[in-house]
Amino acid sequence: MSIFWVVRQLAYIQESMATSKKVITKEEWERKLNDVKIRKEDMNKLVMNFLVTEGYVDAAEKFRSESGTEPDIDLATITDRMAVKKAVQCGNVEDAIEKVNDLNPEILDTNPQLFFHLQQQRLIELIRNGKIEEALEFAQEELAPRGEENQSFLEELERTVALLAFEDVSNCPVGELLDISQRLKTASEVNAAILTSQSHEKDPKLPSLLKMLIWAQNQLDEKASYPRINDLSSAKLEDPAI
Amino acid sequence: MVANQQEQISNYFLEQAKLSASSSEELDNENESIPMELNTINSSGGFLVVSTDKLSVEYTGVNLHGHDVGVIQANHPAPVKRLMYYFEMKVINAGAKGQIAIGFTTDSFKMRRQPGWEANSYGYHGDDGLLYRGHGKGETFGPSFTTGDTVGGGINYASQEVFFTKNGIVVGTVYKDVKSQLFPTAYEAQERLKQQSMIEKISLPQNVSYGIVRSYLLHYGYEDTLNVFDMATSNSVPPISLSQQNGFIEQDDMYALSQRKTLRQLIRTGKIDAAFGKLRDWYPQTILDDNSPICFLLHSQKFIELVRAGKLEDAVKYGRVELAKFFGQEEYKELVRECVALLAYEEPLNSPVGHLLKESQREAVADAVNAMILSTNPGLKDSLSCLHSQLEKLLRQLSACCLERRSLNGDQGEAFHLHRVLTSSKMEKH
Repeated sequence: MSIFWVVRQLAYIQESMATSKKVITKEEWERKLNDVKIRKEDMNKLVMNFLVTEGYVDAAEKFRSESGTEPDIDLATITDRMAVKKAVQCGNVEDAIEKVNDLNPEILDTNPQLFFHLQQQRLIELIRNGKIEEALEFAQEELAPRGEENQSFLEELERTVALLAFEDVSNCPVGELLDISQRLKTASEVNAAILTSQSHEKDPKLPSLLKMLIWAQNQLDEKASYPRINDLSSAKLEDPAI
Repeated sequence: MVANQQEQISNYFLEQAKLSASSSEELDNENESIPMELNTINSSGGFLVVSTDKLSVEYTGVNLHGHDVGVIQANHPAPVKRLMYYFEMKVINAGAKGQIAIGFTTDSFKMRRQPGWEANSYGYHGDDGLLYRGHGKGETFGPSFTTGDTVGGGINYASQEVFFTKNGIVVGTVYKDVKSQLFPTAYEAQERLKQQSMIEKISLPQNVSYGIVRSYLLHYGYEDTLNVFDMATSNSVPPISLSQQNGFIEQDDMYALSQRKTLRQLIRTGKIDAAFGKLRDWYPQTILDDNSPICFLLHSQKFIELVRAGKLEDAVKYGRVELAKFFGQEEYKELVRECVALLAYEEPLNSPVGHLLKESQREAVADAVNAMILSTNPGLKDSLSCLHSQLEKLLRQLSACCLERRSLNGDQGEAFHLHRVLTSSKMEKH
């Protein structure tokens, strides 16, 4: 006895894969673009999602009243989240930790890596401010015990303490820890953790869609030559390469 | 601006107004018939007994030679407008010889041959565990299967591969990276994750999302939001500067920003007479022709606002004066009929034309007026650029690329639906 199902066109695919690239002219492509219907309402939601996730609470508020788009999260929670983020960005890590715990103590309890990174940032700020004694004490009492639990924490700790070994940190191999980008990294980590705790996605959808556009264009490149958008910020259609 | 370009622009917004009325489900509609049962008409006939639910089948022949095979297909081909398709079957009784097979074939398949033996067919055979594709010589593939086993067949449209499973596990060498227990949905999720992690690795130019959001706000005249957004981005650490990035395109979008904002506010609060007044003062050329689509949209909105306010008699009067003349014209007919239909319901909001009373309808009219004003910009480089924001252009490109790729793949694979992306909370990477 034999049972099987039907699918059309499997052979057809193999055939079409072997043939050369199809060329689509600008006129043809514009016709195809015109057939695509994007709803304004959906675009508004996409913009609102960006404002909310990136923490532009005032802009989100205004956008709600100007476009009638409802945010997918309580706007009040953004203010708290942004206060935490700002505190880290300005180097007030202690303040930030306190604020996170006010918001939801589970966030740091359930997220040892985030907690370690915040403590590490605190150590960095102490070193930046020349508080050497305080920094040493903090490293030994607060950070070293955590390093014992986790090998990667220990390595991070050693890397950070190495800052103390250099008088001129601008020439030090771990000097990047003092860079603003380190603060931003920590800030975005804590931002993501708060969003996750509010069961909201931690990244806005817009950048993912832009990546998807680049990916989709690359995929289509294999099969066809068509007008691409190479510059996302102008959204200009290029002429197809032939 | 040439008259027919204006017409082109306002016709676009007529369409948009209709679009905002249609439900998102309609837009996403890609109904495909999916295999639900066995095809009892086109089978090997006398060889088989099919159960009444059309889901089980028994081979009653004796199988003396290679053309004595009982074959049955599903009632529909595998659906193709998706990431993948997968089905399973349970072997109730493999028979004395254990010659049972599962596979994919075309509709022109000879119904007395094993799947895989003929061209354009794939078959995974139970007695030897071999994979046959297109001829009688099999390849080493997976374990054999027999009575009590559940076997499955699937097609991955993204990678254009066929795969088979035995008792929930993918067999053979096609997908050796997949080892876990697989069910159809689990498998799809895994495939999607793989694709997403590839997409997430792509890097974007710095701050490009900010620029796109900013130009969206500019394009549609959301001036208050724009000002607050600009202030916030310049105060952030580090400040995000976007002004140079967009160059001349921004100049186009700056045009008449505060006038556009004012008109949007008037329309969004239902003050259509005031909006007409401002247009007459500022941009009389846009409403010169009272039979133009833009005037029609404003008149119909005025009518809708009267209904909303419960002033039905005024609505009737207004409709007779301003809307009746559009009735005979094909492109307006549908919208006029819907507007007038509002009068027929005691609770128009809950009626089939209730969408007209929603915010999105006001927004659509405001968008049309916004575009008309943009089109009066004497410095406009591309006369149709006023129609689409950058964001819309990018999303249309994304959509068109996905559709084109699908059509070049023999109409197989997924389309892009913004609406689905927005409603799925799991666009996240792992």
